[in-house]
Amino acid sequence: MEATAIHALLQSRFGDAVSDYVDGFEKGSLVAAGRVAEIAAFLRDDPALGFESLMCLTGLDWDGYDASGKGKSVDILGYDELGRPQASDRVGDGDLGVAYALYSHRHGHKHALFVRVPRAAPEVASTAAVWPTAAWHEREAWDLVGIRFAGHPDLKRILLDEDWEGHPLRKDYVMPGAWQGVPLDGRDYAACKWDESGVTLPDDVKRPDDVKQPEGSQRPEGSQRPESGNQG
Amino acid sequence: MSETAAGRGWGGQDVRRELHSELLEINMGPQHPATHGVLRLLVRTDGEIVHGVTAHIGYLHRCAEKIAEGCDWRQWMVYTDRFDYLAPINMNFGYAVAVERMLGVQVPERAEHIRIICAELQRIASHLIAIGTFGLDMGAWTPLLYCFREREEILNILERLTGGRMLYNYFDIGGLRFDAYDGFERDVLAFVNIMEQKIPEYDTLLSYNKIFIERTADVGVIDLATCLAYGCTGPVLRGAGVPFDCRKDDPYSIYDRFEFDIPYGEGEQGTVGDCWDRYMVRMREMYESCRIIRQAVDALPGGPVKAEDLKKLVKVPQGSLYTRTESSKGEIGYHVFADGGSKPFRTKVRSPSFSNLHVIEKVGPGMMLSDLVATVGSLDIVLGEIDR
Repeated sequence: MEATAIHALLQSRFGDAVSDYVDGFEKGSLVAAGRVAEIAAFLRDDPALGFESLMCLTGLDWDGYDASGKGKSVDILGYDELGRPQASDRVGDGDLGVAYALYSHRHGHKHALFVRVPRAAPEVASTAAVWPTAAWHEREAWDLVGIRFAGHPDLKRILLDEDWEGHPLRKDYVMPGAWQGVPLDGRDYAACKWDESGVTLPDDVKRPDDVKQPEGSQRPEGSQRPESGNQG
Repeated sequence: MSETAAGRGWGGQDVRRELHSELLEINMGPQHPATHGVLRLLVRTDGEIVHGVTAHIGYLHRCAEKIAEGCDWRQWMVYTDRFDYLAPINMNFGYAVAVERMLGVQVPERAEHIRIICAELQRIASHLIAIGTFGLDMGAWTPLLYCFREREEILNILERLTGGRMLYNYFDIGGLRFDAYDGFERDVLAFVNIMEQKIPEYDTLLSYNKIFIERTADVGVIDLATCLAYGCTGPVLRGAGVPFDCRKDDPYSIYDRFEFDIPYGEGEQGTVGDCWDRYMVRMREMYESCRIIRQAVDALPGGPVKAEDLKKLVKVPQGSLYTRTESSKGEIGYHVFADGGSKPFRTKVRSPSFSNLHVIEKVGPGMMLSDLVATVGSLDIVLGEIDR
């Protein structure tokens, strides 16, 4: 089925929840964040669509996206041009988003779904019940971009440690100078003093406490640090 | 509970019901040879029977996707090498195809042929490791040494070609970094001639070994519905009985010009989708790779290996595209978002092992502990691409 036909079918079925047709390198539909799960279930179960396979789920931060096409995106924050740690007071704006790449083995067609959520309340309905593979991809999107998935069975960090501060793939993320006493910025290690009590960092190295991460970096409710048995 | 012989006593009685003890939580990994890297599986067991598996990943996380935001499009190629360090060329290939599609670049014929020769050599090398270490998991030491003997030949060719033995950084946006050396075709053909004779040797050593079949047939069955739901691709999906391969079903590069078959699991020794089927798919794919290499070498034209009209600093037009290619582990996808600038705005790597590993949490419960080792081995995961 053609992407335009899929979009029209979705629009006739879900009305306002399916807004724009996205016509770029990949064709897809822009859908409402709260209703992704039911749209996903329809896409999978409708015999004419048959999207039984979720190829990829991407979380991203649209902050700094230059719509004019010039491409002046935000640099990675936390270092100056010599690689020294540098505080940043940049406040992020722009939406967060999720992109779904779908494929139907039965019909051999593809479709993409795009979701945009406001930065202040980044919450998207979880599709883990429709495509179980989404469970890990959504955990990754929470971990790296900080998007919450409502109805996810076990939303917690997957690649980073449970006590990591912030979500690195946000454009306003500031690289911490050190984490748990270990310098991270690849700077002058000779300036660190090592003795029995551990490592002492130079004064100008930021500690995680000094770096203020943006709003929404807190752990979601119901996701606690794992029990001691999990700590290996 | 899986429909296997696991958990049955000598008389066929269900030992799970008769002999049970307290649930014991044990860590398999992160330093454990059977987890194929720094993977930690938290296993809840009742005696020898697995009741739950939780995979803990991230030990090799480098956040290459953040690094991408600070590199230009060509520079990031070198980081794609580091995802699947057993098949870096296949990782390069996926990224190169993704960016070239968005740029609309026509890659020169010679470069396309050399790319395919390299990618298929790399696929054989990766499968050799998969087969060898899988044998090792099952207690067969010898095949690993034979597999490394042939892999060494591939590494020698790639070293002569690229200068690197492990991470090649050979592909470039719009072609290759440099042309092949004189005698490349001769070396490749000589290797393929040897390789095709060695595969029957592995069959006698391992594939049809009675003990190996006992350990792998009917073990760790992953059926088609589970594969699709959990996003399993590559030999795991093909082992479940579907001849799906991106090289044929979502063609890229010039794979549509070559004749080759897609091996898939048929349940010869047990159930469709068991460990033996996944293993055998890899074994047969090596034959098919040899076939592709022969055709590509025969058709190898002269000419340039770089797209000429491409600037040093490429700027990808605004938009997004998900591109997938077939690596040795499965479908490697790059979801690229470009804002028209010289740096990737966002590049998500959908790595095959990430989804292939996820399924262990679903199929693990109900197995014997030793079968869990077999199943993890048969998935052929590489932690570099899971953690990125």
